[in-house]
Amino acid sequence: MKKQLRWGAIVATATLASLLLASCGASAPSSSSTGSVKSIKVVIAAYSKDNTPKFWNAFKAKYEKQTGIKLNLQIIDWNDLDQQSSTMVQSGALPDILNENAYASYAASGLLYNSDQVLPAATKADIIPAFVKSGTYKGKFYGMPDLSSARALFYNTDLFKKAGITAAPTSWDEFVADAKKVTALGGGTVGYAQPLGPEEAQAELAIWLFNNGGSFKTGQTWTINSAANVKTLEFMKSLSVTDKVTQNNPGHTNRTDGAFSLFEQGKAGMVVGFSPLQAGLDTQYKNVKYAIAPMPSGDGAAPQTYGVTDYLMSFKKPGNEAAVKAFYKLYYSPSEINTWIKAEGFLPVTTSGLKLFSSDPKLKVYLDTLPNIHLTPTDDPEWDKIALTIKQNIGLAVAPNGDPKKFLDDLQAQAVAGK
Amino acid sequence: MTVVTPGQDAERIQPRRRRVFKHRRSPGTATIGEALLWLGPALILIIGVVIYPAITLVATSFNKYSIIGLRIGPAGFSNYVNFLTSPDLGQVVWNTVIWVGAVVALTILISLALAQFLSKEFFGRRFVRWAVIVPWAAALVISSQLFRLMFDYYHGIINQALIDLGVIHKPIDFLGDPHWTMPSMIAVGVFVSIPFTAYLFVAGLNAIPSDVYEAARIDGSSGWQTYRQITLPLLRPAILIGVVLNMIYVFNSFPINWILNGSNPGFGNDTLITYMYKLAFKSAAHDVGESAAAGIFNVIIILIAVGIYLRFVNWRESEKQS
Repeated sequence: MKKQLRWGAIVATATLASLLLASCGASAPSSSSTGSVKSIKVVIAAYSKDNTPKFWNAFKAKYEKQTGIKLNLQIIDWNDLDQQSSTMVQSGALPDILNENAYASYAASGLLYNSDQVLPAATKADIIPAFVKSGTYKGKFYGMPDLSSARALFYNTDLFKKAGITAAPTSWDEFVADAKKVTALGGGTVGYAQPLGPEEAQAELAIWLFNNGGSFKTGQTWTINSAANVKTLEFMKSLSVTDKVTQNNPGHTNRTDGAFSLFEQGKAGMVVGFSPLQAGLDTQYKNVKYAIAPMPSGDGAAPQTYGVTDYLMSFKKPGNEAAVKAFYKLYYSPSEINTWIKAEGFLPVTTSGLKLFSSDPKLKVYLDTLPNIHLTPTDDPEWDKIALTIKQNIGLAVAPNGDPKKFLDDLQAQAVAGK
Repeated sequence: MTVVTPGQDAERIQPRRRRVFKHRRSPGTATIGEALLWLGPALILIIGVVIYPAITLVATSFNKYSIIGLRIGPAGFSNYVNFLTSPDLGQVVWNTVIWVGAVVALTILISLALAQFLSKEFFGRRFVRWAVIVPWAAALVISSQLFRLMFDYYHGIINQALIDLGVIHKPIDFLGDPHWTMPSMIAVGVFVSIPFTAYLFVAGLNAIPSDVYEAARIDGSSGWQTYRQITLPLLRPAILIGVVLNMIYVFNSFPINWILNGSNPGFGNDTLITYMYKLAFKSAAHDVGESAAAGIFNVIIILIAVGIYLRFVNWRESEKQS
């Protein structure tokens, strides 16, 4: 009995001590050392298996030669990036540069450098204003765009010809009619491949929303459940439930291994795609004949383009300011950033890049619209959670028994409550 | 002078030696220092990979974290309250019960039959034994990914085969249709659990002495009687271990549910383990603290489940018997 008590005391003390240690370890790193750093940790998302390591290893060599600072490069798969970056923050092992698709929550926590501290003025002036805007949180530019992509409507010209359609649809009515004709061809073809599974559903929602005069946020006000948006999501649901022009179960279909793969197999008449899909079609799936058109419009207005950019943000750590500045300076030099963007098949984020890429006829359909591009409200930290909810739950809202209006009302409530 | 024979000599010396040994220390005890020296590596390992993470988990569950993983402050029990009151928990617990119950039960039943078959002599037995072990040797992630392709609605080989055989006329959405998702995952779970369990039972069968069977035969017992009254009772320790290990293993299984359920929205097919992961990194909550609370809840649940099972089968009694 006595022995047990003693052991209990030892275990309790050890637990307490470890609890204290663990909670201390989780707090932000102390700023004790001064002077400049000898190495920086750079965490990059793997956009592709081949091109990402190739470019960044070459970049690392150049950076180290130029500055004499060691660049510790870590390339992480998109699927694990969120988890790993969260672990880095939690354990206080912050990187110096992090490549992610969201930055506002980090900026809101006061962890990031803003452009005044680390970005050369000429570089900032070169970045396309729409991206500066999306990277700006509370008046300061924190989210430096690394590359961008824009979505457009891809259609299979062989299937269109077979179905007797001559041009891409420009209105939603035409879109449904064309999709019905392609579906009627039979043989497992579907009119429209609609990815509303958890992978990237917020993108699919955004592009349809923008083309019906809607938006997630107008000025400082969330407008997720506006009448136009409810109409849009109801339309998206009707595509599979009443019109039956989509693949089976869109709410359970992811983008990459679902909708895109159907289009690559020549089984889908239309899909919302972007330049990496195009690169795949041009190299691997050459028997699929396709064309790219602006999105059809739901409200009769001109087609709107939905764009996505990812960010290279930099964390405030003692003595790393100069090293980070040198990193951005090298990254945004035209020979670096544009080589990388070209290799991955994405779109530029700088005015100089826009000029350089404009000679490529394949990119014309996107480049023309890039300066007026619509982005999701990534400058609001609340959006990070809204996007997660959309990804996780929109599939349920477009199921036969789903309720689009309630889904959008709940989203709006979540955004307004800031929970 | 007496002649001492070697035997006598040995007899005389040995007790003394033993006494000397006894004098230095009684058998079975060592000083703390000696014990630590031998136990050191194991203790370091246990502290590093079991105790420290467990303590961190407890600490995390009592702190509040922002969406990016930054500690905001102490949370008290709010993480536990949030987790236990989340509207999806009921469905997730029910899924977990179905998942663990069905996979373990089917695995045990099929493995019993398979073990009986594998312990018989037949041509090509070696080949069959190797074939059975393959699913175990393959990484779970790879097996799950392969099944995901095989179950696919449009390109999956299972739908193709069923249509070609005329069993069905239009493909089944094995991984998207709510009625089929859980059964499909259970099938894969059973497939990867069978090798270990079957081999456990083969070893158990080999340990049963042949004379009991001989006695049964002489007494005129039928095949089924022999199986029920001799094989099963003597296999009881192996079945016990098989059930307990599989319960823990299947409960904690992550890749099968994660990959096969990967394109489904919501939490309709999640088990406690995948739900815990989604809480931390995929759900809108994106809350490491709440996820840690879920992790502690999970450990408690599986301990209780195993405890109930062991009580149910009267573990101590069977231990005394064997």
